[in-house]
This record gives sequence, structure tokens and C-alpha cells, in this order.
Amino acid sequence: MNLIESFRVSIRGLANNKMRSALTMLGIIIGVGVVILVVAIGEGATRRVTETVNSLGTNLLTVFAGSSRVRASAATTTSSTSTSSSTSTSTSGGGMTNRMTMDDSNQIAAQFKKTIDAVAPSVNSNVTIRSGNANSTTRVTGTTVDYPYVKSIEVDRGRFFNEAEQEGSRKVCVAGTTIAEKLMGDAHIDLTGQTIAVNGQNFQVVGMQAPKGATSWGQDQDDILIVPITTAMRRILNRRNIDMISVRCTTQDTMPLAQEQMSNFLRVRHHTPPPYPDNDDFKIFSQTDLLQTQQSVTGTMTSLLSAVAVISLVVGGIGIMNIMLVSVTERTREIGIRKAIGATPRDILLQFLIESSILSLIGGLIGIGLGVSGAYLLATVGGWSAIVNMTAVVAAVAVSVGVGLFFGIYPASKAAQLHPIVALRFE
Amino acid sequence: MPPLLSLRDIYKTYVMGDQVVRALDGLSVDIHEGEFVAIMGPSGSGKSTLMHIIGCLDAPTEGSYLIDGVEVADMDDFELAKIRNQKIGFVFQGFNLLARTTALENVELPMLYGHRKDRRARAIRALERVGLGNRLDHRPNELSGGQQQRVAIARAIASEPRLILADEPTGNLASLQSEEIMQIFQELNDEGGTVVMVTHETDIGQHCKRMVHIKDGQVLDDEAVSDRLIAVNVLEEMRQERLRDEQRKAAALAAAGR
Repeated sequence: MNLIESFRVSIRGLANNKMRSALTMLGIIIGVGVVILVVAIGEGATRRVTETVNSLGTNLLTVFAGSSRVRASAATTTSSTSTSSSTSTSTSGGGMTNRMTMDDSNQIAAQFKKTIDAVAPSVNSNVTIRSGNANSTTRVTGTTVDYPYVKSIEVDRGRFFNEAEQEGSRKVCVAGTTIAEKLMGDAHIDLTGQTIAVNGQNFQVVGMQAPKGATSWGQDQDDILIVPITTAMRRILNRRNIDMISVRCTTQDTMPLAQEQMSNFLRVRHHTPPPYPDNDDFKIFSQTDLLQTQQSVTGTMTSLLSAVAVISLVVGGIGIMNIMLVSVTERTREIGIRKAIGATPRDILLQFLIESSILSLIGGLIGIGLGVSGAYLLATVGGWSAIVNMTAVVAAVAVSVGVGLFFGIYPASKAAQLHPIVALRFE
Repeated sequence: MPPLLSLRDIYKTYVMGDQVVRALDGLSVDIHEGEFVAIMGPSGSGKSTLMHIIGCLDAPTEGSYLIDGVEVADMDDFELAKIRNQKIGFVFQGFNLLARTTALENVELPMLYGHRKDRRARAIRALERVGLGNRLDHRPNELSGGQQQRVAIARAIASEPRLILADEPTGNLASLQSEEIMQIFQELNDEGGTVVMVTHETDIGQHCKRMVHIKDGQVLDDEAVSDRLIAVNVLEEMRQERLRDEQRKAAALAAAGR
């Protein structure tokens, strides 16, 4: 009997027991579907993290003022905190030792020209905004004219504020699209030329930041007002310290050196005693650190869920083996008849192997269908990013057929080895 | 001419627990082409074992068995399957048709395993030969016992094997259907086919040309059938009998009515 005929016989065998065949497939369907879905979600998350971090600039180092250790001790020594908290109210939690200033930032830019391309110091705070009758709150970032270059942001309507406005501490701002939505009810409205009251002071909108969406950790990057740093420090926050410095390195390779240089510079300048980095009053992050952390988190999740999916595939395979064993026993007489009229052991082996492979292949294909549509559903309705990976699809088909073959071997060889007389006498 | 089947000093022993059962004990028999042989004997005589060995379903423990001059006693499973497929057509007591499979597909099955190209045409011809040309698409559960056995005969003869081997072919059938089956076997034999049949019913054996009695795994006696029954005549007699029965009943009814 050739292969095509074996296929026909096997399909007949399965069609004679439709309900059982469908139930047997279920394990494989679920296994393959989950594999596809999980890999799609993992892939989507990884892609999103990478895109977000890339949009921030891969050459970017961020120097935050303050350190977690100091914050922790500040919480216990209430007496000293009360004296200094009035002078510094940092949003990024600088606590009593936030001693980073505009001068630090300027010195860094001036001294390390070989490794550092540009810097943008900034202060951040939450403010109330008002336009007409609409009230809301948002986050204000005070920074310098180099900010768009350092942070790779774009102004698609109007312009960024200029050097003169920065020097003059002018009340101008660049708004994110969420501001337009909060004040006007529509993110597409161009606020350029309008006036917004920030903490009661009128600011003129000179430009709109191009929409950036949310970060991978869920912060809306469009819910922001960007103002000159001098304006923010003197007119809004009344502060002398800055919260962070965004540093754009010349190349990705100079980033470790730049980090080293800045650390040493700040330690000397702030007279920080050793040990380092425990006593540091700053912290330097790179985007690649962030990227790696995020990717390792999503990678762990993906492999964990994939392991669960693979286990369910194996369980599905055992289900197939179980049913095929039942099927062999139930069809012992049929096997006997086939053998008596001339089926070779190989013919019988093939018939049952093909049956189990067809079961798992069809199960696998249905699983792919469900997995892909599930991923699509999550992407469109749930707003998740899910990317169906063709490699995963091909692997899932291969694995499901492999499972069918592997778990089909034992029942099939049991059938093939049945003695015709014994099989014929079986009731 | 050499015999079609030649069994020489065949032994078959089974070990059951600590007891050795000699199902066949040095049996020898020759069957020539065109013969119509009944193998008869009580249960436990070894006739089923002999049947299995002749049918290549089992190999003898010892001895020589030639089909068409080919030694099959020491063939492996694969080669035995080939011989069963090409040289032997089986008819079983329990019909042994595949359920949920049409008559036509059942008849095609052996030729499927035998790679016959013209199997559909042969299968149709065989079914017409046994008078089931109008039942091609019926499944076994839609056919009577006699019809099922005729499908089984069609399956056995479709590939024109050298030997037709029947194991109690009428065991599950009523006498009229049995007679119809025997008629087909007699016709096949008249056309030159070799038929070997295992039975314990003497009147069925009487339809054959030669009777081989087996006892304790050996040939007890081997003789030609003296007063052979011809199925066509027996069927005619049965018909007459039934006619007479009906006439008698009608007469009785008429008498009662008067």
C-alpha cells in the first residue's frame, strides 16, 4: 500500500470516530494556541520596550540627583530633614542632599567634550493648569534649548523656545498633545499662540511636541509642559537645585567612560567622602541598562509561559497516545482482518502513525488559527502589542506533528505486532 | 504435476502452563490444483491449527510446507503477509468484514494492500459474480448474513488467488443460505478453482469432492466423497419442499374453511 492510500485509510479511521478525534485534538489545539499567543505577546512587549528606549536615544545617560540610601536615612533623622526640606523640594526625591546645580551641568558639558555631545539639565514638578474654564494638572519640565536634541523629541507645530527666551526667563512653553486633550477636549487641537495659566501665571504656548505615546512603564509622555529651566526654577518652583541632567554621549562606546568621568567629577565637586557609590548624592542610569532590565523581565516571562505551553503540548501528546492505545485495542479485530488479507506489519504501523500525526497536525493548525486570532484580538481590542512570530508558527506545527509521531509510535507498533490469529479471535 | 499445497510432517506445539499441547502431530497432506477438499474433525482435533498453517496465518513448529513449490514454513511476518495477500483468499465463519465500510471497499481492500491497479473493476466483477452487483454501496450492517458471507467470498476471489480457504463458512448461516454459499463454492470449483474448507458438518462436507478427517493432530482418513451433494439440486429440492408445504397449508386452510 502506498502512502496516499495509507492516508486515505487513516482519514477513514478518524472520520469513523469524529467526536473522539476532536476531543483528542483539543490538547494539541490548546498547547499550540498558547505557545503562539505567549510568544506573540512576549515578542510584542520586547519590541515595544526596544522602541521606547530607542525613541529616548540609545546614547543617553541620565544623572539623577539624590540617592536611595540618603533618602532612607533622611526618613529616620527627622530633625535634620525639617531644616533642609524647605530649601529643596525635589520631585525625584533628592532629599536633603540634592546639591546638583545648573553649574554642575554646565561644567560637565564644558569639560568632557570628547565623550559628551550635549547635556540638558532639567527640573520636574506637578503643576495646575487652566485655560478658560478648564482646569487640570500636569507635569512641567524646565530645561534648556538643547533638550529636543538630547532627548530626541520633535516639535511638529510651532517651535521650541529659544536661547533669548531661556536667558530672559520668559513665560513660554511647549505643550504635549495630552494638554490639548485636557484643556480643549481634543488631542489634535493646536494650542500654539494660546495662553495657559500655570500655577496661576500666564504662559504662552509657542509649540506642540509631536506625540510620543506612553513609555513601557506606562507614563504618558505627552502629558507634559516644557518651559525654560530658568523660568521653572525662578518663577514656578523657586528652587536652585536641578533634578536631573540628561546627557547625550558622542557614541555608544564612550558611554562607560562618560559615566566614570561624571561620577568622579561630581564626587570631587560635592566633596563626597568614600565609600562609593554608597555615599554618592547622584545616580547615573543608561538607557541600555533600562533596556536590558526590561528585556530580561519580558524574556523571563516569555520563557516561563512558554514552558507552561510546552507542558500542555506534552500533555496533549500523552492524550493522543492514550486515545490511540484505546483505538488499537478497540480495533484489534479490524487489525486482524487487515493482516489476514495481506496487510504487512509496516502497513498497520503506517496507518496508526499517520492517524496520530493527522490528529496532531490538524490540532496544531487549529491551534495556530486560535493563537493568531487571539493575538490579533489582544492587539486590536485589548490594546496589547502582540506580534505573531512566523518561526514560532512553523515550530509549533513541527512540534505538534513531532508529538503525534512520537506518541503514536508505541500504540502503532503495538498494533503492528499483533498476531493475526490472536487479533481475529479478539472479541 | 506437483501438488498446489504440500504439507510434510507438520508439527505444531503450544506450551500452556507446564503442559505441552501437540495441536498437529506429524501431519502430512497434499492438495492438488482444482481440488475441493473438506477438512473435518471434532473440536480439539487440530483442524483450526491446520487451517491457520495452510492459510499462512501461523508457522509450523516443525515440518515442511510448500505452496506452489515455495517453502513457507520459515518465512517471516512480512513474507507471510505477501503470500496471504497474493496466493490465498480467506472466507471466515464470522464474515470478518470491516464495519462502516461499503461492500465494494471491503472487496477492494486486499488488492489495496497488494498494489493492484485495476482493483475497482475487479471488485465490481467479483461482487457481480456472487450476485451482489446491486449492493455495492451497502455496509455490512445493511446486509443479511448470507449476503455478508457472499461479500466475503467476493473479497476472497477478487484477486484470483491460487487457493480459496474457508473456515466454517456456513457456521453462522441458516440452511437455505448455507446451500446458496455452497453453490457459489461449487461453481468456483467447477471453473477450476481450488477450495479447501474446514467444517464439522457432514452434510456441508458432502458438497466437497474429498474429505480429510483429522484427529489428535493426525490424518485419520482421507477419501473421495461418494454420494456428493450438488447445491443446485438441493436448492431445487428445498424449493419444491416449500412449494409442497404451501400447497398443503392452503389445502388445510381450504378444508377448514369448508
